[in-house]
Amino acid sequence: MRKSLKAWFLLSPALIIIILFNLLPLARTVFLSFQSSSLNNSHFIGLENYITVLTDSRFHQAIYNTAIYALAVVPIGLIISLIIAAILYDFKKFQVVFEVIFFMPYIISTVAKGSIFRLLLNEDYGIINNILGWFNIMPINFLDDPEIALLTIIIFGIWSSLGFNIVILLSGLRNLNSQYYKMASVCGANKFQQFWLITLPQLLPIITFLLTVNCINSFRIYTEVYTIFNGKAGIGYSAITAVYYIYDKFYVVNRYGEGMAAAVILFMLILIFTIIQNLILRKLTRR
Amino acid sequence: MIKIENLHKVFDNKYEVLKGLNLSINEGELLCLLGASGCGKSTLLNILAGLMQPTSGDIKFEGCSVLNTPPKDRDIALVFQNYALYPHMTVLENVMFPLRVGKNRLSKEQAKKRAYEYIEVTKLEKFINKRPHKLSGGQQQSVAIAAALVQEPKILLLDEPLNNLDATLRLKIREEIRILVKSMNITTIFVTHDQEEALSLSDKIALVQDGHVVQLDSPQEIYLEPANLFVAKFMGNPSMNLFIMRKQGNRLISNDFKIDLKLLTPSKFKDELFEEDFFVGIRPEYFLIAPNAPVFTTNIIQKELVGKDCILHFKLNKKVAKIIVSTNSRVVEGNKISVGIDYNNIHIFTIDGRRVY
Repeated sequence: MRKSLKAWFLLSPALIIIILFNLLPLARTVFLSFQSSSLNNSHFIGLENYITVLTDSRFHQAIYNTAIYALAVVPIGLIISLIIAAILYDFKKFQVVFEVIFFMPYIISTVAKGSIFRLLLNEDYGIINNILGWFNIMPINFLDDPEIALLTIIIFGIWSSLGFNIVILLSGLRNLNSQYYKMASVCGANKFQQFWLITLPQLLPIITFLLTVNCINSFRIYTEVYTIFNGKAGIGYSAITAVYYIYDKFYVVNRYGEGMAAAVILFMLILIFTIIQNLILRKLTRR
Repeated sequence: MIKIENLHKVFDNKYEVLKGLNLSINEGELLCLLGASGCGKSTLLNILAGLMQPTSGDIKFEGCSVLNTPPKDRDIALVFQNYALYPHMTVLENVMFPLRVGKNRLSKEQAKKRAYEYIEVTKLEKFINKRPHKLSGGQQQSVAIAAALVQEPKILLLDEPLNNLDATLRLKIREEIRILVKSMNITTIFVTHDQEEALSLSDKIALVQDGHVVQLDSPQEIYLEPANLFVAKFMGNPSMNLFIMRKQGNRLISNDFKIDLKLLTPSKFKDELFEEDFFVGIRPEYFLIAPNAPVFTTNIIQKELVGKDCILHFKLNKKVAKIIVSTNSRVVEGNKISVGIDYNNIHIFTIDGRRVY
C-alpha cells in the first residue's frame, strides 16, 4: 500500500500535466459538443450540433478534401521519399549534403514555406508558370482557381512530407547489413530484386511507422491551407479541410458547439482509420 | 584450379593490404587462409568473389582470368561470419533465395525440391518454417551453409564462419563442413585466424602475413617445417620457445644451456651458420624430461593443466619457457626437473627470420 502511494507520488508531476493539458481539454471538447453554441449561456442540447455538422455540405466538402489529400499525399509522398532515399543511399559522396538539403523543408516553418509557395505559384509572375511557359503550357492559376486549389495543397503537402520521410528511411537503410547485398549479388540478384526482396521487406516496420505518422498529419492539415491561400480556404472554400472547418466554426462564425462536434467526429475518424491501417500492416509484416 | 598471381590491393586511403600475393588452389581442395586480423585474408576473399577489384594482378579460374567476370557468373557461394541470413524469410525461403534470382532461375517447385535436399543434408528439417532469429547460432550457421551449397557452386568461400559459435559447436560444425564439401568435391577457401581450426580442417594452409602468403603447405608440413621465423612463431599452441644463442666454434651457447651442432642432423642444414647470433626454436613438446642426460636443470614456476598433458613454465635465459609433459608425471610447482632436448626437431633461424636448420 505504502509502495503504491509512493509510486503515485512519483508519477504525479507527469500525471498532473497529462490530465491538465491532455485529458481535460479532450473531455471539455466532448462536453462542449453537446452544448448550445454560446459560451456564457450554454445548455445541453443533445445531438443537435452533430446533426447540424453532419448535414452541412461544407463539412462534407471538408472531409472529402481531407480524405483526397491524405490518399494522395501519403502514398505518393512515401514512394517518392523511398526512391530518393534509395538513390541517396547508393550515392555515398555527397550523401550528407543532400540529406541536409532534403531535410531543410522539415525545419522551416510552414508559414514561411507557404509564403514561398505563394510566390512560386503566382499566375502572373511565379517561377513555376514561367517555366511552364517555356514548354508552351498556358499559365495555371494555382491559387485562385477552385478546381485546382486542392491540387495545389496536395503538391505542397507531398513536397513538405519528403524531408522527414527521407531522413527516417535513410537511417533504416543504413541499419541493413551490407552483407545481405554481397550475398545477393553473388547469387545473381539484380538491383531491382535486391530492393524488392531484401530492402523493402526489411523496411516495412519503418514504412508502417511513417504511414501512421503521415496519415495523422494529413488529417490535421490546416496551416498549409491557411498560408497558401492567404488566410482563406481557397476561393469559395474550395480547399477547405476538416481542421479548417473546425477553426472556421470556432473563431469565425463562433458556433463553438458545432466546432467541437466536428472535432469529435474528426477524432473518431482518425482513430478508426489508424486502427484499420495498423491491423492491415500487422498482417502484412507478420505473414 | 584457381591461380592468384601477384595480387595487389591498395585501398582508397592508400593502405596497401595485399602486396603481390601469389597462391594456387587445386580443384576439390580445402584451403585455409590463416593469418592475424588485418593481414588481408578477408580482402582476398572479397576479391575472389568479385565484390572488390584488385589494384593489380590477376585471378584465373581454370586458366581464364575472371577479373572482368561479375560475382554472379563466377560460380561461387559465400558464407559470412554473421551468417547474413535474411531476417524476414523463413529457413526454407532463405535456402531457396539463391535459386529464385539470377539467370539460372528455377521454378518455385524445382527450387523447393532442391532446397529440401540441402536442408536434409544440413539436418534442418525441423526448422523449415522458422525465422532465423528463432534459431541458435549453430543452426543459423547451418542455414547459411545450406543456402551456399544449394547453389552447387564450384567454389565455396567461407569468411570466418565459426567465429560466433561456442567451442563445442565449432568442433562439430567444422567437421560437418569438411565432410560436406569433400563429399561434394567443392573447392573451398576457408578464412580463419584460428590455427587450430586451420590445422584440423584443411588440406592445405596458406599462411598470410602482411599481404603475402608466407607459406603454402599441408597442415603437417607447416607445423613441422616452418618456412621462416614468423611461421614458426605463429603456428603451435603453446607457441615455440625461442632463444637467442651465440655461435662459438661448433656450439651454440647461451647463459643457461648450450647446443652442440655435431648432435644435429647434417642433411637438415639449409645453409651454413655464417652469422654470430641465431634464434633457436624449440617447441614445448621437444623439451624432454631427461633425468639421466640433462641439458639443464630448472625449477617449475607454474603448471597449466590441459588434460592428458600439462604445460610447465620455467625460467631459461631469464625468459619464461614452456615444456609439455604428460599429466601422469605428477610434477608440481616448485619441483626441480632435468630437461633434455630432442635435437631432431629444433629449428635455427637467423636474426632476420631466415630458417637455416
